[in-house]
Amino acid sequence: MAAEGIDEFDIRDYLRTELMPHFMCPGCGHGIALRALLWAVHEERIAKDRLAIVTGIGCSGRVGGYIDANTFHVTHGRPLTFATGLALARPDLEVVVITGDGDCLAIGGNHLIHACRRNLRMTCLMLNNEIYGMTGGQVSPTTSEARLTTTTPYGNAEPTFDACGLATAAGAGLVGRGMTLQTVALKNLIREALAYRGFSFVEILSDCTEIFGRKNDLGSSPEMILRQKGSMRPDFYGNTVEHPFRPNNLTTGIIARNERPEYGDTYRSEVLAPHGHGGAAAGVSAPVE
Amino acid sequence: MNALDKESASPHGNRDAARPTNVLIVGVGGQGVLMVSKVLAALCQSEGFEVKQSEVHGMAKRGGSVFSHVRFGEQVWSPTIPRGEADIVVALEWAEGVRWLDHLRRDGGTFIADTQRIVPPISFRNRTRNAASAYAPETPAEVVALVGNGFALDATSMATGLGDRRVANTVLLGALSTVLPFAAEHWLAVIEQFVPAKTKDLNRRAFLAGRDWAVSAERVPAAVATDAVAQKVTARAIETAPAHLLTINEAWCKGCDICVKMCPERCLSLNARMVAELARPDACTACHLCEWLCPDYAIRIESTPAVKGAS
Repeated sequence: MAAEGIDEFDIRDYLRTELMPHFMCPGCGHGIALRALLWAVHEERIAKDRLAIVTGIGCSGRVGGYIDANTFHVTHGRPLTFATGLALARPDLEVVVITGDGDCLAIGGNHLIHACRRNLRMTCLMLNNEIYGMTGGQVSPTTSEARLTTTTPYGNAEPTFDACGLATAAGAGLVGRGMTLQTVALKNLIREALAYRGFSFVEILSDCTEIFGRKNDLGSSPEMILRQKGSMRPDFYGNTVEHPFRPNNLTTGIIARNERPEYGDTYRSEVLAPHGHGGAAAGVSAPVE
Repeated sequence: MNALDKESASPHGNRDAARPTNVLIVGVGGQGVLMVSKVLAALCQSEGFEVKQSEVHGMAKRGGSVFSHVRFGEQVWSPTIPRGEADIVVALEWAEGVRWLDHLRRDGGTFIADTQRIVPPISFRNRTRNAASAYAPETPAEVVALVGNGFALDATSMATGLGDRRVANTVLLGALSTVLPFAAEHWLAVIEQFVPAKTKDLNRRAFLAGRDWAVSAERVPAAVATDAVAQKVTARAIETAPAHLLTINEAWCKGCDICVKMCPERCLSLNARMVAELARPDACTACHLCEWLCPDYAIRIESTPAVKGAS
């Protein structure tokens, strides 16, 4: 399955194997999402020394710890802020943020919209499993209506966030959605996001089998992952920018492109250079591209 | 070769003068079966015969089975040829020819076939690499020996040699022309009506090549060539035999059951310790689905060096 002219992908080359097996529950989709990320990194030929992973808190935050690269495990909801500083200071790095639905949309929702607004070059992967899994299964901004969680014992009555619609509206350069069932398509989507010069936001539909699935009687791990094709996912995942909350079937792939100046370039040329700071202000050599 | 009387209304040596001559043309979609039958029907019509042609092509997209019945004579009633009544079977593809062999007259029918094999995926017994194929096992020599008058030629290779493999059907028309009582010029005139202007010269050469092959005595080389091809296929199969290696890291597997349920060939299972194991290694096609969907990276499929070298 090697791509053109590259060695076959072996995920063990990119893992801290001494920490394996990882802590995630049986059937957890985050493992598949991590494979897709590392596979895309492999095919984009990004050296591990140039890869900087920033993760927040939650199951998604723990994912970063297993990657054999530069990884930062930061405070709840703030991976995008840490990544913003990192990407500005070290434009030679490939900054990837791995965050969860609660981390990104609730606790870090403010940071998400400002990261989208700036359009600084980085890749944000939001692993959406519709729940706060690690802390015991509380309702999250993407929990579908009527679903049971520990904080909504009679069913969730809140409307959900459409993360892709939010990111698009806030001005993210590239917005896409993938699901763990279609690993190869997800890998290709992440490749596009990694290659994009600007802020790219990828929502990854992932399964929480032990907390969310068990509580809502969604069946076994294979049943849950198969449902990604159809009925399990709510209709709220509207696809288009014009009607971000339109009831619709789930759409995957690239959902929006918003070509705007990349913030890092603008900052260096419009702010630093006129004040004589040039490349030295960033403290590093010119970006390696 | 039948010496035919041009004045006869039933040119193919029929016992019954009133009986029409039946030509069955078979092949797979995209080869030009209908072009062959149109040429034949138009030619017979221009020669003053009544012609009926019927064909099935709607269900046969590219690669599917296509056949066309052409009947001509003084008077033709039914448009279809009953089983065992075809005077000539023209096969543009080898297995299709063998498939329709039962329509050929047992007493002296003529069988004209391209020995080129178009092997459909469905002919393989299972989906593993180098699986046994159920594709027509009869060699051309065996089939030619079976029929009264057999022509097995590698028309596709001849057409490729002439510049375009798509004129293989015209090569077969050339061979067919030697067993029907019509002049070569008439054949060529009709063919030119049906082919694109740019390919008229090519089709002419293809027709003559097929005709020359049929009148010449040597009819065996095609069989030899096919055997050589078969040998080559076998040799390649041995070369790439162990195609892949599926390994399961038991320490990493958490028994989530995804690989077991998602495997299209159902070759994995959970053992008593709730760890995935490869229960049917022979059925594994190395599709990588289990590897991609394993959240714990416990499954790994590696191509063996033989395959790496081949690709």
